Amino acid sequence: MTPNVVAPPVSGPAGGILSGLRRLLTSESLVLWLALAYAATLAPFTPGFVSASNGQALLAYALPILTASLGLTLVLILGGMDLSVTAVISLASVVGGRIMSAEEGWMAGSPLAVPAGVAAMLLVGAGVGAVNGWVVTACRVPAFIATLATLMLFSGLALWMTQSRKIGGLPPGFVLLGQRLWMATAITAGVAALAQAALSRTLYGQWVRAIGYNPRAARISGVPVHRVTFATYVACGLFAAVSSILFTAALETGNPEMARDNLLDVVGAVVIGGTSLYGGRGRILGTVFGVLFLSLVDNSLNLLGLTFYNITMIKGGVILGAALMDALRNRLLAAA
Amino acid sequence: MIGFRNITKRFFGVPVLRDVSFAVPPGHTVGLVGENGAGKSTLMNILGGNLQPDAGSMLLDGRPYAPRTPRDAARSGVAFIHQELNLFPNLSIAENVFVAGFPRRARWLPLLDRRRIHDRTRELLAQVELSRPPETPVEHLSAGERQLVEIAKALALDARLILLDEPTTSLTDVEKALLFGIMARLRSRGLSMIYISHSLGHVLRLCDSVAVMRDGTLVAHQSAAALDTDRIVSWMVGREIRQLYPGRGDRTTGAVALEARGLSQSGTVSDISFELRRGEILGIAGLMGSGRSELARILFGLDPCAAGEIRLDGEPIHGLPPRERIRRGLAFLTEDRRAEGLCLEASIADNLSLVSWPRFATGPLGLLRRRDAGAAVTGMREAVRLTTSARDTQPVKTLSGGNQQKVVLGKWLLNRPGVLLLDEPTRGIDVGAKQEVYRLIADLARQGTAILMISSELEELTGLCDRILVMRRGRIRDAMAAQEFDRERILRAALHDETAA
Amino acid sequence: MKPVLQHSAVLRLLHQAPLLLFAVVLLGFGALSPAFLTVANGVNILVQTASTGILAVGMTFVLLTAGVDLSVGSILFVSAAVGGKLLLSGWPLAGTLPVMVAIGAALGALNAVFITRFAIMAFVVTLATRYFGRGLGLRITETRAMNLPEGMYQLGAAHWLGVPLPVWVFALVGLLAHGVLTRTAFGRHVYAVGADPEAARKAGLYPERVIFAVFVICGGCAAVAGIVTLSQAPAVSPGLGNNREFMAIAAAVLGGTSLFGGRGAVLPGTVLGALLIQTIENGLNILNVNPYLYPIVTSGVILLAVLLDAARCRVLAEAGRRRIFVES
Repeated sequence: MTPNVVAPPVSGPAGGILSGLRRLLTSESLVLWLALAYAATLAPFTPGFVSASNGQALLAYALPILTASLGLTLVLILGGMDLSVTAVISLASVVGGRIMSAEEGWMAGSPLAVPAGVAAMLLVGAGVGAVNGWVVTACRVPAFIATLATLMLFSGLALWMTQSRKIGGLPPGFVLLGQRLWMATAITAGVAALAQAALSRTLYGQWVRAIGYNPRAARISGVPVHRVTFATYVACGLFAAVSSILFTAALETGNPEMARDNLLDVVGAVVIGGTSLYGGRGRILGTVFGVLFLSLVDNSLNLLGLTFYNITMIKGGVILGAALMDALRNRLLAAA
Repeated sequence: MIGFRNITKRFFGVPVLRDVSFAVPPGHTVGLVGENGAGKSTLMNILGGNLQPDAGSMLLDGRPYAPRTPRDAARSGVAFIHQELNLFPNLSIAENVFVAGFPRRARWLPLLDRRRIHDRTRELLAQVELSRPPETPVEHLSAGERQLVEIAKALALDARLILLDEPTTSLTDVEKALLFGIMARLRSRGLSMIYISHSLGHVLRLCDSVAVMRDGTLVAHQSAAALDTDRIVSWMVGREIRQLYPGRGDRTTGAVALEARGLSQSGTVSDISFELRRGEILGIAGLMGSGRSELARILFGLDPCAAGEIRLDGEPIHGLPPRERIRRGLAFLTEDRRAEGLCLEASIADNLSLVSWPRFATGPLGLLRRRDAGAAVTGMREAVRLTTSARDTQPVKTLSGGNQQKVVLGKWLLNRPGVLLLDEPTRGIDVGAKQEVYRLIADLARQGTAILMISSELEELTGLCDRILVMRRGRIRDAMAAQEFDRERILRAALHDETAA
Repeated sequence: MKPVLQHSAVLRLLHQAPLLLFAVVLLGFGALSPAFLTVANGVNILVQTASTGILAVGMTFVLLTAGVDLSVGSILFVSAAVGGKLLLSGWPLAGTLPVMVAIGAALGALNAVFITRFAIMAFVVTLATRYFGRGLGLRITETRAMNLPEGMYQLGAAHWLGVPLPVWVFALVGLLAHGVLTRTAFGRHVYAVGADPEAARKAGLYPERVIFAVFVICGGCAAVAGIVTLSQAPAVSPGLGNNREFMAIAAAVLGGTSLFGGRGAVLPGTVLGALLIQTIENGLNILNVNPYLYPIVTSGVILLAVLLDAARCRVLAEAGRRRIFVES
């Protein structure tokens, strides 16, 4: 039996520093401070780090990752897992390319090509999300293995549809989205605001958290567990589809291997942002900070001329470090 | 056998054990009682090597005893039987018995000696009168059989001191009787035991002496022969609890709120019919496994029901999911508070408002009116008299059992239910909290709520209810009104063929 | 009673789902191609399965403790890269192979330190080390393919009693793992910790040590799988072992191992699961199917097996619904 007594606050000058440190470590914006501190430290040594063009490059890299991470955040708070986000990104990219491409698209040249392509990409996201949601709720398959299977299935499908080729010749109306950064920014900000509002201001958000904490108790308390779970996987698929739109527009090709190596960035950013894989605990803003931090790392190391493999190694280390810090901070919170 | 000398322990500077000293003589069974938070578990964790005392010492057979790990304790012959059983359902009985120290074929060969394990287990199972093959997976055993495996495990260690922490919570009466018989036999063989329980009747029946703890100190340790329940309770709470149950008083019953007609489901309940009126407290007595919890789950829509009819305020609700039933004013406090009642990691406020969120949501988007919800939560905290020292944002897991149960109750009351189903509402909570829960239940009935209350404690039912139904093997066997309450009659109806068999 | 009987029949059928799927796949391909059901092709399938199978056996240990190791593909790559470097610098095969296995075990230990010492979820730790390891391996190989000396190839082509060496290694690893899991105290502790680590601690076991050990075993198996892979195609390419962890998890799950810990087996379980995956690929290959369809078919079968297993659990739960008395 643990005593349900709160320890008296530590006082005195030494306690002041300690409690300050503790407050920083347990602060909700810790990751933001860390990201800013990182940027401030590296700025003097990194040529071209503080410049308008680099700011744009940073943003262009971060936006699609952020969009996908937001959907995953919802699923993780629900206590689920979705490994198939990168499969959605590549499959939607291929489907979009197949419809819109001027060279080989089914609607090549049609004025409706762009809206139809975008709609089809969103539909792919919702569809894969619905498959995940169905397998997880109706068939009660653990989310990890269900989405692992759909990851393999749908990324395999994307490769098969194109036989590994990239699809070029996307219509200018679509590619514009990649060239005008403010458009992508507006879309991502809108999507983030939507997720934030849904999570903190609606019944749905309360239900997602309750299911993440304890699905059995949630069901007995009248939460429509299956409906909410299904909807969350569909939402995650849609977010990934929006991410795919941003990726595809920026790279101006439909690519069956699009984002294949970004799973680490997506999952890692959410974890760095303090969302728990046990469910219940997590914040949209935390994920935004997490993506910011990872993007800063990626961007600065690239500018410093590090090779791809060194950057990958360091990113792995950053995620481990973040997880370590989170463990430490939970210990502090538990002791308080 | 074992002696505690001036054991003191603090958590974050707050003392939880103060100068506790007492001894368990060889061959004696000592009952250890106290409210939740009195320090029993901390003391036992020190005995078991999970915690180290800040001051004081222990003597085992006259030698200093200071275990650093559970393994140390086991090696010294101190065995534990916890409230939550410590068995691995995926392993066999024999493997569970020997899991901490498998015998090998030979010293140089790390292979299990299966034959020896099975032979020895068979012997031990005979001692605890469990006739199951040693290779049976534990997941195939009933709760009572699992408890016996735990005892066999303790015997396998050659334990000289066995500690039993609430071992009867999930046992049927027959299984309890069997367990007590085995305990008596072990005692006659010279084994010492420490028996922790909230059920004072059992403690008085089983133990040679009773040690009572309150607020981290030992307030009394006396021979059981000279004690009675009232005396022990007054030591436990530090004051006389004169009126554990609020009077029935001026309650009046109204229209029928919940009606069941001929409910039957193969293997759990058959032909259950009853009426529950507004302002009435209807008790359901019966042993574990008599179908009483299953009945509540059927009424709430969690389990299927093959035949029969359920009406809530005259409207048939058969086939509706729990969500719909909740909307129509049904509430269900389940027997398993931690697994089904609470989101332990979530805050007090979020737990309290979980059921009634839809009432604080507007429009098709379900936008929340947080201020309204917050006000309702504050009001409910006062209504259920939740401890004032806890913040709204504090996780529920940090609360004591009694306060957790108040949160579950408050969660349902916030939705203003017309019919409240309670399954073991006072399980595992201390006397003080029990009294408050009883008062709450009585108040609700007075305000016109219809209450169906399932309990294993007859005293609780006869003290609180207006009517009692007795279930056995899925059927209602007897029904009586308050003036006819007779504990012997209830027990007879509940036990009947089990005692005959 | 009739419903119970029906249940148990359905249950028994579902329980054998992996075996049935395997039989269906064998008969199906056998009917489509005469070259499929031959001894030579059988041996061929075994050889092709060996590497993934060994990887999956190691993964089974981890899954049994309710953990997961996403880094095995990277561990395989790093140990192969180091091994390749050593061989090219003139080290003898007999000296290199133990070093490779030791590197695999050491990387497994690295995972284990973070998981047990700092209580971070295995998923997060091994996801991070997966990328870390990939980066490290690329750094060692300088992102170039390394062709290994002839000795490695001879190892893969060697036969003993008419059976190729990779098959022997696979059999040895499988039998050893099966023996350890079912017949040693450590093996039973793996199951105990997987079922309930808290209860294991109370019973006087050391869950951290058990978890540490399974990650070391898993790392070691990954290195052995790497050796077997190299013996069949003696070149360390930059993509070596990439995404292999998913195949290993899939094989274990196909064989009936639960992701929640405490349930599963190496024999027949995981080994059968690995064989099933490889048999499908082999059959598709013999039928000259477009290689792009392989992953689609394979993941389809995995999804099917997982759905069948979920159905089994549901029937089991239905049958096990508390029946407190039997109606007379």
